[in-house]
Amino acid sequence: MFKTFTERPIALIGDDGKKVARQLYPWPPETLLQLLWDMLRARLVDERLVTLLRQGKTSFYAQSSGMEATQVALAHAIRIGHDWVWPYYRDQGLVLTMGLSLPRFLAQLLGTKLDYSKGRQMPHHFSAPELRLVSISSSIASEVPPATGTAMAQKYLGTDEITVCTFGDGATSEGDWHAGLNMAAVQQAPVLFVCENNQWAVSAGLRTQTAAPNLAIKAQGYGMPGYYVDGQDVLACLAVLSEAAEQVRREGNPVLVECLSYRYGTHSSADDDSSYRSPAEVASWKARDPIQRFQRFLERQGLLPSEEERRAFAAQVQSELEAAAKEAEAGGSPAPEELFDDVYSDLPDHLAVQRALLLSER
Amino acid sequence: MKLNLCQALGRAMREELARDGQVVVLGEDVGRRGGVFLITEGLQEEFGARRVIDTPLSEASIVGAAVGMAVRGLRPIAEIQFADYIYPGIDQIFSQVAKIRYRSGGQFCAPLVIRAPSGGGVRGGHHHSQSPEAIFAHTPGLKVVMPSTPADGLGLLKAAVRCDDPVVFFEPKRLYRASKEEVPDGEHLVELGRAALRREGSDLSLIGYGGMMPELIKAAEALGGQGVSAEVLDLRSLVPWDREAVLASAAKTGRVLLASEAPRIANFMGEVAYVVQEELFDQLLAPVLQVAGFDTPYPYAQEKEYFPGANRVLKAAARLLAY
Repeated sequence: MFKTFTERPIALIGDDGKKVARQLYPWPPETLLQLLWDMLRARLVDERLVTLLRQGKTSFYAQSSGMEATQVALAHAIRIGHDWVWPYYRDQGLVLTMGLSLPRFLAQLLGTKLDYSKGRQMPHHFSAPELRLVSISSSIASEVPPATGTAMAQKYLGTDEITVCTFGDGATSEGDWHAGLNMAAVQQAPVLFVCENNQWAVSAGLRTQTAAPNLAIKAQGYGMPGYYVDGQDVLACLAVLSEAAEQVRREGNPVLVECLSYRYGTHSSADDDSSYRSPAEVASWKARDPIQRFQRFLERQGLLPSEEERRAFAAQVQSELEAAAKEAEAGGSPAPEELFDDVYSDLPDHLAVQRALLLSER
Repeated sequence: MKLNLCQALGRAMREELARDGQVVVLGEDVGRRGGVFLITEGLQEEFGARRVIDTPLSEASIVGAAVGMAVRGLRPIAEIQFADYIYPGIDQIFSQVAKIRYRSGGQFCAPLVIRAPSGGGVRGGHHHSQSPEAIFAHTPGLKVVMPSTPADGLGLLKAAVRCDDPVVFFEPKRLYRASKEEVPDGEHLVELGRAALRREGSDLSLIGYGGMMPELIKAAEALGGQGVSAEVLDLRSLVPWDREAVLASAAKTGRVLLASEAPRIANFMGEVAYVVQEELFDQLLAPVLQVAGFDTPYPYAQEKEYFPGANRVLKAAARLLAY
């Protein structure tokens, strides 16, 4: 069992890839390699998508590079398709590792017919009913009280599911974040709250969000366990998140895990970070890159795939992306009049009138 | 059996809790206390604390938890103690409740009911008297309902619980214990989106909802004494609202008076007025008039003067008839 409320983030391997913890690693080589492939895939997709943006095919992109260890580990720590997930908008690594197909993923960014949300949402609002990955609202922290409600329902229905709720560091300043965590603790709702602390909410750094030494410590105020983890250490993330998920499942109570990470890119394609952080800061975090670090670890274990294998993997992801982009675009855009569907379960008179108006404009 | 509005609403929840194991009630003080208006009295005793849930004092938690429950398959009825306190839960209502079906392309939805007592009548000053229904009517994805009689309270609330869309259900607290009426004994459902004709007439149409209805009926009776035949229509649902019934009445009388207790600017009845003039411009005998609350916060000491009661309705009716 890991210690709650540690002063320093829990880490299992150092930046040099050496073990820093006494715990043994219970994972077989296949799992370790899968973690690497999943992180590499998330990084490659993230980098290639910037190209999609430059080509003008999508209007907006928010990179998650730098946050792969946290997001990939979380997907490995839960029961995919069984547990429910209320994610946030920068969770590419999570949704891809959970199994959201690349065509569906791209269709969401492009707003084409293949998009589950029928082109209703701007890019970065992924969902998948078969993965129990709930549709995202842009409103920061607004997923937190609903995640608590889903967990309350899971408990009410007597399931062994848990609910996972992710958010960034900025979310922890919102009233709804407090409301959701407090309610979860009082109602003993099985939620795993995961703070993906990338230290920047647009231009507001962590010290603008909180005077607390870290974010995990806030759990104490709600009467729930809090774990502070090195979010650049995929093994620490996997170990703590797995243990926390099973603790939530077993005890039926919420847990907060903070993964201290970093976003390499700007907040979004509409942002310029030169006014609020230095290139030196970004460089210092890139030097602690979660993928490089894990590769160093694997190398020490004699498990690191050869450069050739890794290059072949990158080429494969690239060709998958190209095929997926074609598939995502193939069906075209949703019909204009579909904008009136799903406002309600039925089509009330006033919407029927407006739909007719739109059709008459053709 | 004769019931007042409080008792009818309580009966609606009791029946729905008994009918469907997925129905739960949650809110501040709804359990042991039975709600500050005692509408949920006895429900926790009967159905247990698992199904009638006392929550922390947090509207965001109450509404937010209801959304998450509904997404996972429950049918929650969330109580907000006063409509005036719905605002801390408003991001949940606007960003989650109203949009989840739409934003997910119909993959996820949140059928739930948010009950909130609204309007004046309990000498509560501006934080216990407001009528914020227009804000919710202005938000696509929500259905908005407001009963004015015990039988409608029963039938509309039961229909709201069974509705596959989220329903914001305002309860005119001034009518909670105002009168008792005979309520059908068996299963009683009132379809959402349908107005009720309270009184037939031919000279003018008095159209309102919620706490204004007894005032309109009082005014119609007084007009009857003067030989004027006033029709009284109760909207009951604001979204969707019954265009057909309103336009039929307006076409018949040619004179329309729209009444609501909410402030005048951007009052929901402005939308009704717009549609009436758009559809029936050449059949109207007079401009459409509105009686509404003043554009001030709801005052404490001058509560009576603020409320657009039967006298203000009668003055407006006289103007309408003078055209």
